[in-house]
Amino acid sequence: MQNTVLVVGGGPAGLSACAGVIGAGKNVVLVEKEDRLGGAPILSGYAKLVPSGEWAKDAMGRMIKRVEDSALAKIHTGTRVVSLDGSVGDFTATLSNGERVSAGSIVLTTGFTHFDSINKPEWGFGTFEDVLTTTQMEQMVAGGKIACPSDGRVPERVCILLCVGSRDRQIGREWCSKICCTVSTNLAMEIKEISPQTDVFIYYMDIRTFGLYEDKFYWKSQEEFKTKFVKARIAEVTRAPDGKRLLVKGEDTLVKRPIVIPFDIVVHAIGMDPNVENTEIARVFGIGLEKHGFIDRAEHYTNTCGSTRRGIYVAGAALGPETIDDSISQGQAAASRALADLYALVQKTA
Amino acid sequence: MAIHEKSLIDPDRIMTHESLVVDGVDVSGHWNTMVAPRFLSDYDDDFVNVIRAYPGGENVHRCWQCGSCTNSCTMYAQNTDFNPRYWIYLTNLGLKSEILKDKDIIWTCVSCNKCTNICPKDVRPEGVMKALAHWLEDEGHTDKTRSSIFDEEFTGQVLDHGRIEDAHVVINFLRKTKQPYFQDWLIEAVKRLMRHMPVGMLTMLGWNFLFTPKTRSWGRTGEVLREYVREQKAAAHARMKEAAHV
Repeated sequence: MQNTVLVVGGGPAGLSACAGVIGAGKNVVLVEKEDRLGGAPILSGYAKLVPSGEWAKDAMGRMIKRVEDSALAKIHTGTRVVSLDGSVGDFTATLSNGERVSAGSIVLTTGFTHFDSINKPEWGFGTFEDVLTTTQMEQMVAGGKIACPSDGRVPERVCILLCVGSRDRQIGREWCSKICCTVSTNLAMEIKEISPQTDVFIYYMDIRTFGLYEDKFYWKSQEEFKTKFVKARIAEVTRAPDGKRLLVKGEDTLVKRPIVIPFDIVVHAIGMDPNVENTEIARVFGIGLEKHGFIDRAEHYTNTCGSTRRGIYVAGAALGPETIDDSISQGQAAASRALADLYALVQKTA
Repeated sequence: MAIHEKSLIDPDRIMTHESLVVDGVDVSGHWNTMVAPRFLSDYDDDFVNVIRAYPGGENVHRCWQCGSCTNSCTMYAQNTDFNPRYWIYLTNLGLKSEILKDKDIIWTCVSCNKCTNICPKDVRPEGVMKALAHWLEDEGHTDKTRSSIFDEEFTGQVLDHGRIEDAHVVINFLRKTKQPYFQDWLIEAVKRLMRHMPVGMLTMLGWNFLFTPKTRSWGRTGEVLREYVREQKAAAHARMKEAAHV
């Protein structure tokens, strides 16, 4: 019988899966390709997390410590899985550092890749210094000062463009990234908190602050922090004649008129792409991808967190755009499936 | 005339010049008409706070454009140009010039309050209509409403004399609103008064009509009251404007 679960990816879902295995008294081997744990919230320098409002480094820090402190956990950072042999109950993975790991089951928590705004050049990212992504704006908020990167002036007006890299057939992204609306309404509040003289506008097609995020983020942002919502999908961002500000062009679909509005900072609410390495991950682990490029899930009702291969489970944003909180829950769910599989060979022989 | 299908263009964007020189070329005459671009080039960020400072407008910034107000609106059923949802949007973005296009119908809200009852975000659209109408009046974009004129006549008399004279209120109201004095309902009312009122009271009515006596020892009371009301209005407006900025 196998005593070890292999977890690939050290973000919120992976750390949660590790904790699930440790909690059951079994061994876990965590493989993380970056040189530190924490996943996107740490690697991309997120500020306060939604919906807890806790700083990313504090929240993730606790998750990391819980795994690092356990004698049952073996952690490989800066390491990848290069090949996999065996089957459920008796896998052998070869790591890029040459080590071999025997595991009864595997949890893939390989996450996502932020959409690269360069792929929407008409919105000015990479052309104008004052066009940022939500992750860059998060970093600015974490730094405690709101200023235009170009010349350091405090912005009078900031706009956030929703659905950048989401819901866009032009660039083959036909999914909603699920979290950007909530993140953006939250970001607007954080900007206003640090810089009360800055007005924040959100350009939207729909607002999808689902579930309990509705009043905690959308309503609060609008009613208490005076975030303004404009129904328009922006066509392009250009330089204003003054050489400093940016002009945001589009059609206000409620006024039914073209708009050309000056702003100091334009923020792209970037979506969640499939992990850029998913084809490689699919090859190494012998699993399938769904049509958008995320990891394909098995029938969900009785094979929860299952991939298309027995003994390999998936949790978090590897399956599609996901919140941090739900990724953590899925990590625990995947761990319970993986733990059950440690007995797969015992059951087979019995 | 260089523009065809002129009806498709907002009249306020058509600019006709007596004489026009473009880039040093005289284009007067046949090419004297230009069309201003139709794009919106800026928002008036503070306008929403101006409207929020009027009683009724406090919650306008809460709107998320669901359209329940317009859907339930009594006036919209009469005239599809009467669109509270749209004016609320324009208010929040500070698109004043667009609001002014509808200045002559905004005041026609009948305050049935169906919008306020149905609004899922508690925007209180009926109050917003009132706030917008008052702003339009204050800024001189619209004439005073008849009810404002009546109120002013009534209050003015009270402050001047400590009392009102019904006949003066009616006559002055009709005069200021440019309505004929001889209204059927008024003639009928006077006829019935003459028929049923005791002679003593009729005499007093006539006396008061002619001499407009003041309430006893009225003195400077009216003056003081006027000043007090003015101060209170200014203070209330300043308070609300401050509150709107928070």
